[in-house]
Amino acid sequence: MGEGDMPLDDKAKRTRDLLSSFYSPDPSVSNTSNSFRFSSLDAINSTSFDADQYMNLLVQTSNLEGLLQRHVEMAAEIKNLDTDLQMLVYENYNKFISATDTIKRMKSNIVGMETSMEQLLGKITSVQSRSDGVNTSLFEKREHIEKLHRTHNLLRKVQFIYDLPARLGKCIKSEAYADAVKFYIGAMPIFKAYGDSSFQDCKQASEEVMATIIKKLQGKLFLDSESIQARAEAAILLKKLNFPMDNLKAKLFEKLEQSLEALQLKHEDITNVLVESNNPSEQGNNTESVTGSAHDALVCEFAEAVQAYQVIFPDSEKQLIKLSQDLIAKHFEITAGYIKEWIPIANFLGVLRIIWKDVLLMDKVLHEALLPDYSLKASQVAVKQYIKSTFSHLLNDISDSLTNVHIKPKEEAEEHLLVVFLEAGKTAVLQGSLNVLLDFRQLLEENLGGIQLSNLIVEWVQEGFQDFFRALHDRFLLLSGKNKSASQDENSTENMQVEKVIPGLVLVLAQLSIFIEQVAISRITEEISAYFSGGGGHASENGPALVPGEICQTFHSDGEMFLQHYINTTTQKISVLLRKRFTAPNWVKHKEPREVHMFVDLFLQELEAIGTEAKQILPHGALRKHHRSESNGSSASSRSNPLREDRMMRSNTHRARSQLLETHLAKLFKQKVEIFTKTEYTQESVITTVVKLCLKSFLEFVRLQTFNRSGFQQIQLDIQFLRASLKEIVEDEAAIDFLLDEVIVGASDRCLDPIPLEPPILDKLVQAKLAKEKEQTPIYP
Amino acid sequence: MQGGSSGIGYGLKYQARCISDVKADTDHTSFITGTLSLREENEVHLLRLSSGGTELICEGLFSHPNEIWDLSSCPFDQRIFSTVFSTGESFGAAVWQIPELYGQLNSPQLERIASLDGHVGKVNCILWWPSGRNDKLISIDEENLFLWSLDCSRKAAQVQSKESAGMLHYLSGGAWDPHDVNAVAATCESSVQFWDLRTMKKTSSIERGHVRKVDYDTRKMHMLVTAEDESGIHIWDLRMPKVPIDELRGHSHWTWAVTCNPEYDGLILSSGTDSTVNLWFTSTTSDELTSGSVVASPSQKLDPLLFSFNDYEDSVYGLAWSSREPWIFASLSYDGRVVVESVKPFLPKK
Repeated sequence: MGEGDMPLDDKAKRTRDLLSSFYSPDPSVSNTSNSFRFSSLDAINSTSFDADQYMNLLVQTSNLEGLLQRHVEMAAEIKNLDTDLQMLVYENYNKFISATDTIKRMKSNIVGMETSMEQLLGKITSVQSRSDGVNTSLFEKREHIEKLHRTHNLLRKVQFIYDLPARLGKCIKSEAYADAVKFYIGAMPIFKAYGDSSFQDCKQASEEVMATIIKKLQGKLFLDSESIQARAEAAILLKKLNFPMDNLKAKLFEKLEQSLEALQLKHEDITNVLVESNNPSEQGNNTESVTGSAHDALVCEFAEAVQAYQVIFPDSEKQLIKLSQDLIAKHFEITAGYIKEWIPIANFLGVLRIIWKDVLLMDKVLHEALLPDYSLKASQVAVKQYIKSTFSHLLNDISDSLTNVHIKPKEEAEEHLLVVFLEAGKTAVLQGSLNVLLDFRQLLEENLGGIQLSNLIVEWVQEGFQDFFRALHDRFLLLSGKNKSASQDENSTENMQVEKVIPGLVLVLAQLSIFIEQVAISRITEEISAYFSGGGGHASENGPALVPGEICQTFHSDGEMFLQHYINTTTQKISVLLRKRFTAPNWVKHKEPREVHMFVDLFLQELEAIGTEAKQILPHGALRKHHRSESNGSSASSRSNPLREDRMMRSNTHRARSQLLETHLAKLFKQKVEIFTKTEYTQESVITTVVKLCLKSFLEFVRLQTFNRSGFQQIQLDIQFLRASLKEIVEDEAAIDFLLDEVIVGASDRCLDPIPLEPPILDKLVQAKLAKEKEQTPIYP
Repeated sequence: MQGGSSGIGYGLKYQARCISDVKADTDHTSFITGTLSLREENEVHLLRLSSGGTELICEGLFSHPNEIWDLSSCPFDQRIFSTVFSTGESFGAAVWQIPELYGQLNSPQLERIASLDGHVGKVNCILWWPSGRNDKLISIDEENLFLWSLDCSRKAAQVQSKESAGMLHYLSGGAWDPHDVNAVAATCESSVQFWDLRTMKKTSSIERGHVRKVDYDTRKMHMLVTAEDESGIHIWDLRMPKVPIDELRGHSHWTWAVTCNPEYDGLILSSGTDSTVNLWFTSTTSDELTSGSVVASPSQKLDPLLFSFNDYEDSVYGLAWSSREPWIFASLSYDGRVVVESVKPFLPKK
């Protein structure tokens, strides 16, 4: 069975293939699978079957028996295929015949339909003609009826017009003004057409009535006690009657404006009250709310009025918006006034709160005015201004504390003057800025205008501090009298004050600058970063607004500059002293020295004054020993002393002197003593610098003179005395020794006859001076 | 900003204060300087910068009878110069001529062309006509201003006019305006006075104390530079004498001398008693002066100090630009050391 099945299956498949290839337009579709087989024996079913090739293949691959068998198989297959083909042809033929039958039947059925359609057409035309007949017969009657109807309408209208005055009167009685107006307006066209002829009386009567109505409506409109609805209706009615509304509008608007003015004045009162009530006690919330409510009531009233006006005159929005914006603008103007005078933060916030409340109220009424946006902007400006004015206030506080303190405690002990001064300055700077920051934190917490505003506040505060420190720097310069050109305008007033203040104040400023650089800035930066960070988004555009490093640098250089300035002013003072000393006498005709010259006292006095000033403010130099060794002076000082004596001795012997002097000078200069070292913030350093500069000036003055022997000896004596006194107060002995030696060398160079005083005489004179000083000391405690 | 020595040195025998550029010598860069020694034989040295610019050669060494307080070279004859000298007790002023045959003589004598007598008290300085040949000469002593007419061939000088500075005004120096030959600036204790030579009257003044040295800007009209003891250097516009238009720090101690470069705008040299010579550059131009902006924003400006030459042993009193090679200057410190430096590396780029 299995073997019989296979060829049968095979056969059926081949038949199907053949048929499908016959029917399908593209034989390749079905035969693609066979195409590659055509070299084998199975290729017999493919379209590209090559008989010769097949034969060759068959002959080559099979033996005779196989060929025969194959022949038999093939003959059988051919027979089978023939019968299949025949069967297919029969089947198709049958189908064709049945289709022909169906077509024949259809043809016979259609023949009767044409006649019945013709009958239908005839019937429809007859129906149409009948309906036309009916229409024409009824036409006349209908027209008559229509005419009657029109007449009826006309009669009703005439009746209405005759009744109009009476009806209007009735309306007035029942206050149904709306109906009255409706009626009147209905009658208007007729009055217009026939008012002069047939309905003259009627028209007059009704117009009179209407006049009273209009009056009544006007009254109603202006009456505040009427409900807004009613007033609005009245306005609408009046408008319908073509009553000139502009007048009315203007009048009403004026009224509004008046009430606005009243509101503003009251607002000022309220804030005054607020200020007063807030000042005595911090818990002024109660009173604030009371006064606030009074104000609220007023604003409510105004808001209602505005609303009414808006309802009454719907097209008046623009005016109203302007009006309300005016109100808010006025509010902010007043606030700006307060800011200018500077008010405490609580009051400022109170005012802002009130304004905000008003704005919200108004916004409810007049949403289109965009008041919140407007006032948000305005409050931003106000807050910015407030921050600015706070900073300028702080600045003034600081400079006041610096100048006032100086003037006030004149009676107090002079000793502590500068300390008081410095402490006041320090507290003013640090406490002041911290307070300001506290205020701004309140401002920030109030959160008036959402995140945007608080971001802006953060930015402003940072900017404010940056500007504040810049301004402080300028102010310091002004106070120190350094920046004279900037204060040119106020020269007369400012400088007078400044002139008096200078020496101590400059020192205070120097120390204050250092304090700001080292303490205040870091504290403030801490505070700011704790509470006022996050505004970075804006600030980062042009770098952060607050640059502590920059400020530190500014104040660092300020400190140095002020210190330098202090030294300069004091040395200038001493310079004047020296100048007088050297210009006054004729040095060529000087008399023999009998005592240490007075100017030495003055010089030491000045130094003492500087010392007391410095001692109050500046710290001790802790590294005294170290400083000395640093300026490689100790070796020089030990060298210079014997050198000096050596030289003095030899100066008697005239000949060898000059050459020796030169060589000694050369030696001396090999170990160049640094005279102009950097000044530090210590008492010793400042005094030493001043002394050095003064001695250098002394030297320069000496070099410009010519001395006789006595003049030279006088200088020698003065220097000898100074040497002892200066040693006690200065830090860098080496440099001072060097300079004192230089003065003597300079003087001997400029001396016609340089014979120094004998040491015993020198000693005697110095001792005499010291003794004299001791006597005097009890007098000057 | 501080540098060691790149300059060329030359040592005088004694201390010295003054050095001057020999303007009339157009072939060489020369300077003339004189010593200040009270008790020794003073000398005038004529120095020439060698052609390679590496050496200072002493071209002439002349003895001068007294110590020299001021010395300036004649702008039209390289052999003529003026000195102010002191015997210790009195001052004098004279115009000298270097002898023709000085090369052969060992220590030749200077020929005194004219003695500017008539001064009382301390003579401060002698000013030559700013440029070109002219017989006018000005000498300033503490109390008076003299205008001389000098005749070189006849070897005589005559006082043309003389004016007293007035009571309590002690003159200390001066400068002749190169833009207006009728104007002279004289420094006194409390101010800088301006004199008109035609009328010999004071025209205006700058109230400023202790001006040590004054110099006109040879490049720009109306510009004046003053050096003050303690308060540094100020630059003035003579049309606005109230406020200086610029201010330079000056020196750690007194600023002694200041001089404007004859060729490069805004290049100023100053010397001080802190043993340094500072080279400054100010961008202040006369056009800017109408606005206060120059003063208002000093912090934004660059540091005007270009360089500080600090290789000196003592105070530097003498300072002179070379007019032939305007990037070269000579400085003289009190110990008698002449140093010639070039500022070429610091010249503003054009």
